[in-house]
Amino acid sequence: MTTRRGFLASLAAAATLPRASWADMGAPAFLGVARVASGAYSLYGLDAEGSDLFAIPLPARGHAAAAHPTAPEAVVFARRPGRFALVLDCATGGVTHRLDAPPGRHFYGHGAFIAEGQILCTTENHIDSGEGRIGLWSRAEGWRRIGEFATGGIGPHDLKRLDGDVLVVANGGIRTHPDHGRDKLNLETMRPSLAYVDPDGALLDQVELPSALHQNSIRHLAVGRSGTVAFAMQWQGAPTDAIPLLGIHRRGTTPVLGKAPPEELRAMKGYAGSIAIDAGGRIAITSPRGGRVQTFGADGAFLDAYERADVCGVASHGAGFVISDGLGGLSFLLEAPVALRRAADRAWDNHLVPLV
Amino acid sequence: MRLLLALALLCPLTAQAGVKDVVDGHVLPGTARFAKATAQLDVAASADCTAEAIRPAWNDAYDAWLGISHLQLGPIEAKGRALAIAFWPDTRGLVPRALGSLIAAEDPIASNEESFGEVSVAARGLIAMERLLYDEDFAYDAGEYECNLVRAITHDLSRMAVEIDTEWREDFSRTLLTAGEPGNDTFLTSREADQALYTALLTGLEYNADQRIGRPLGSFDRPRPTRAETWRAGRSLRNVTLSLEALNDLTEKFADTDTTWTGLAFADALSVAVDLDDPIFRGVEEPAGWLKVEILQQRIELVESSVEGEIGAALGLAAGFNSGDGD
Repeated sequence: MTTRRGFLASLAAAATLPRASWADMGAPAFLGVARVASGAYSLYGLDAEGSDLFAIPLPARGHAAAAHPTAPEAVVFARRPGRFALVLDCATGGVTHRLDAPPGRHFYGHGAFIAEGQILCTTENHIDSGEGRIGLWSRAEGWRRIGEFATGGIGPHDLKRLDGDVLVVANGGIRTHPDHGRDKLNLETMRPSLAYVDPDGALLDQVELPSALHQNSIRHLAVGRSGTVAFAMQWQGAPTDAIPLLGIHRRGTTPVLGKAPPEELRAMKGYAGSIAIDAGGRIAITSPRGGRVQTFGADGAFLDAYERADVCGVASHGAGFVISDGLGGLSFLLEAPVALRRAADRAWDNHLVPLV
Repeated sequence: MRLLLALALLCPLTAQAGVKDVVDGHVLPGTARFAKATAQLDVAASADCTAEAIRPAWNDAYDAWLGISHLQLGPIEAKGRALAIAFWPDTRGLVPRALGSLIAAEDPIASNEESFGEVSVAARGLIAMERLLYDEDFAYDAGEYECNLVRAITHDLSRMAVEIDTEWREDFSRTLLTAGEPGNDTFLTSREADQALYTALLTGLEYNADQRIGRPLGSFDRPRPTRAETWRAGRSLRNVTLSLEALNDLTEKFADTDTTWTGLAFADALSVAVDLDDPIFRGVEEPAGWLKVEILQQRIELVESSVEGEIGAALGLAAGFNSGDGD
């Protein structure tokens, strides 16, 4: 016989035991942030065809989102130099937590989960010294700040998790100070690097490019199936310089730079905004300034270029790529960009985050 | 009359109307003029390759280029043409280096029409020619290797100009005018065509303020007059003036809305340029002269904000959401 007490207990158990997953949200393929017609910003969950599965209003323009590996949660970061990040419950649309950067720190806009989703790692600026930090936040403990460690460089921007919870960090090399907004304070001496850090903070490996490329800020990362790291760069010299904006690295080897004809290099205007690797190992980088997407082979050989105004977001999608742009387009890269969807009242922001 | 009025009411008001005016009244006359000017330059170089003989036609070609150089979409941007026509700013001194190595080796590629297009962009186009025509270090006589080089450059320029004109007339005009129609993979909505032209307008204004004027301005403590565009040819300020006139023309054709303030801002910036007695911005070396050049820069920035406030706001357009963000 079911007692009232027993019935309530089973209800409570049902509410907590089978944890919500991304599948409950319609298994979104991507997360994207967009500005909508009213001028407000929202986080969207999109299916593989680019249709909306959910939308959650945001209080301001964000930069990137970090998706929890299993639970339908996303952490959205304020734009650089941001002081806060919001944890969103994509099932309810509610903000469940707000992460505030500790005193003397600000976020750079990217985060990644380790420890099976129990720890969020965030790239941060130790403002007084300008040194990069990874902040650690415990999801299980109400998103408590549980520690931090150095990234081995200045201006860490993107970071990604590799096997064994090793983090690869793009130290962009550019010193900024929130008192000076986004002003670049050390262009003459900047030294970007790619750093590999273990979850205890030990610097396992650090890679720099030849000194002639010291003004090529390493900013965004994509990780291939076999642990290959592809990195997208932003050249601080003249946009007419023909400089490679793609690098490919495997630990223990020398980085390989993307090889493209000079007119292709120049067409990117010295700026790559996002990067992705598809299932076949092809790499795509985007340039909103050049209105151009380029694809490369796993060996760095140039494959193709695609034109799309104000393109920036890119994510792998099966054996190809989906790109998003500031004109509201989501397109699949075939022979040419093929529109999956137009949402002319929307401007897709910098990044398209794949959910795997 | 009543029928016309009814039709007008039936047709939704769109900004698309301006695109046709831009194509017919601004772009195509501009690309035709550039094709003609570079053809004349090529003829002039064939007839007499000396610097004195070619300079007038080179200046005409540069003037014509300023009429369209802001159209950084479609044919001008394709195949790296914009930089192959005018490699500026040359921040790393690539132009003299590329020319120097061709000349030192007397590279026979200068005699090969087919393959000259494969030469480094720094040794092609109007800026490379400026060195050959105006820089003492590159002075040459008729009969020397440089003669062939100049002819190769003018020929290459003329070829690119014809390609640009043809592609605009036969192809890209239609691409712009059929924005949003099925089969148009470049402009997926009519608004995207508006956006492309609007971006060209704003980027062109920024280029004048930040590059053509900003580079020689440098900073108050460290002005950089020899960073001015084509200072050797004595036409740095003229470039700004002609580019502003072209951008003003683009604005008038593009905007269907009230552009009173933008028109005033253009007129104001142009009058400051006319009154500025400093053809190559050499005045930036003195504080008073520096401030005068900075005033021109500020007036151009006022044009930018007028365009944003009057045209951008009315059409719901803003320059690149991502391209302007930079992160």
